Amino acid sequence: MRKFTLSLLAIGLLTSCQRGPREVKIAIAEPLTGDIAALGQGLKRAAVLAIEEANASGRFPEFKLRAVEFDDRSDPKEAVNVANRIVSNPDIVAVVGHFNSGCSIPASAVYARAGLPMMNAGSSSPQLTLQQLSSHWTGPRNIFRVNTTDDAQGLFAAEFAAHSLKIKTVAILHDKTAYGQGIADVFQEKFKELGGTVLSFDGVQTGDKDFKALVTRIKPLGPELLYFGGTYTEGGLILRQAREAGLQAPYLTGEISYDPDFLRIAGGAAEGAFVTYLGRPPELLDTAKLFIEKYRLAYPGSEVKAYDHYAYEVTNILLSAMEKVGPDKAKIIDALRTLTYEGVLGTTSFDEKGDTFNKTITLFVVKDGKFVPHE
Amino acid sequence: MFVSGNVIFEQVLNGLTLGGIYALIALGYTMVYGVLRMINFAHSELFMLGAVGGWGLLALWPGGATLGGICVIFFVAMVGSGLLALFLNRVAYAPLRGSPRLTPLLSAIGASLFLQNVVFLWRDSQLAFPPLFVSGHFHVGHLDVSFLQTFIILISIFLMVNLTLFIRKTRLGKAMRAVSQDAETAELMGIPVHRVVALTFFIGGALGGAAGVLNGLYYGSVKYNMGFAPGIKAFTSAVLGGIGSVPGAMLGGFLLGLLESLGAGFLPKPEWKDVFAFVVLIIVLLFRPAGLLGKNRAEKV
Repeated sequence: MRKFTLSLLAIGLLTSCQRGPREVKIAIAEPLTGDIAALGQGLKRAAVLAIEEANASGRFPEFKLRAVEFDDRSDPKEAVNVANRIVSNPDIVAVVGHFNSGCSIPASAVYARAGLPMMNAGSSSPQLTLQQLSSHWTGPRNIFRVNTTDDAQGLFAAEFAAHSLKIKTVAILHDKTAYGQGIADVFQEKFKELGGTVLSFDGVQTGDKDFKALVTRIKPLGPELLYFGGTYTEGGLILRQAREAGLQAPYLTGEISYDPDFLRIAGGAAEGAFVTYLGRPPELLDTAKLFIEKYRLAYPGSEVKAYDHYAYEVTNILLSAMEKVGPDKAKIIDALRTLTYEGVLGTTSFDEKGDTFNKTITLFVVKDGKFVPHE
Repeated sequence: MFVSGNVIFEQVLNGLTLGGIYALIALGYTMVYGVLRMINFAHSELFMLGAVGGWGLLALWPGGATLGGICVIFFVAMVGSGLLALFLNRVAYAPLRGSPRLTPLLSAIGASLFLQNVVFLWRDSQLAFPPLFVSGHFHVGHLDVSFLQTFIILISIFLMVNLTLFIRKTRLGKAMRAVSQDAETAELMGIPVHRVVALTFFIGGALGGAAGVLNGLYYGSVKYNMGFAPGIKAFTSAVLGGIGSVPGAMLGGFLLGLLESLGAGFLPKPEWKDVFAFVVLIIVLLFRPAGLLGKNRAEKV
């Protein structure tokens, strides 16, 4: 047995010496299976697309880029496992990930200890980048993200409810995750500040399907608005079951529901639902047209999902930093701090926390089974 | 808090609907446990496959299924899930008969992962389940009653009544009871134990498939990983009612559904519903370790 292991080791060493151009690896850590696997697969496809384009273009003559995929299953524990595996591989110079704020935050601490640049597309909790300013933060400020955050989104939603919809009372639900509860808290605080009344503030269990009892309980309170912080899996079911139970108040939720799956889950009940979105989605960005074309060409039959352009952009930003300073972790982080990038999202540069200066929010309303921008 | 009679009635109806679905799934766990003393952890995937299969068939009725269509879908989903249960028994469990108890358990978990991933590779997103041919509410006095909920409760009760009649009144049902009491003696009396076990798998799977279709109709969407949470809840129901006991699984299912919906409806915080349901489970098991209707049997040595 030992002989066998030794010979395997020898083969491994030999092959690693033999390979031709040097390989530089970029980890892609997203939820590739689990409840929101469809989103994670899209993010992965977009990041891989950026890497393969860079290889084909000859931007990096000295080495070959390789994407290494990791699956965090939307599970914070698994995200930390994945992060430890990533930092233990010396060939990996940066990570693109994670998607869920609940995964990104614990994993980011692991990356920081290893000084690995963390390129984030999709996590929207302000906490992710904010934590780097605390005195407990060990390591460089290594997190960069291209989408804006829930504080912007929650504030926008509360102002929209109070000023445009002229809503006075709301029932708030959230899914008890870093993302869902975070955005619900921001909404609640701002809505109260604007003079509104919060009739109820309740958490639901992710993975639960039956919210009939909950909406039956909320109905007699007579809220003028339902606000939900969480993913479309629960949100779509809550909306559908609320309508079935006769609760007709308008429904407002966050960017993750900007997804065809939300429409499929909620069915006809989705009609009239309001969804805030971080930034602008690819199909509304002139600068993203080329990206969409290339994506469709590379992955026939896959729809471009709502975050895919973020993953593509953040990977390209990483590559452009790498082009300047080479595959060196610390140098990449320094280069990213001062980088200005023109791409799919327009102009991106990062503030001292690594957050983008671009803080646009787009509001959608569901009309005839489609998301329509609401002006 | 002021609570009107209407709200209580609606919450009871919510609970019974949920409970009916739990009970149908729980029957699959409990029947297999009854004859083999084994937990079929792949059972929740039979439920999922019934739902996803039902979704595939519903494409034949794009405008929402008619009454006839629903009957066809139930029939195909039940027979399909039942045959799949037979197949699982053949490839994953039967070869392990006589091996230590943990071996078929691992095999079951493997089968469950396999089935989930097969469906995942086929369709990885939510699949919208078209609505039932009737929708909306009807009125009984002051009460609003949903057609869909009534339909689900009636179908689940109908299936359970038929199952009970089958087990009580037919020769095969008698054989099943005999095998569950003592498989060895039953075999000595000339009962084809292997065939009875296969039949048990078939019926359990078919009920799971029916529950899958009901679940799809009720929640409006199905997905490859939808089996997990209801599977755990149904298993809990089976334990609550007494695992191995058919009426126990029915009682446990309805009870758990009611506990959850009344918990979410009337506890100070609706989030406490699962805590509430499981506290009741623990209290029941403290006083009746074999479950509400389970029999304490002497362990064979």
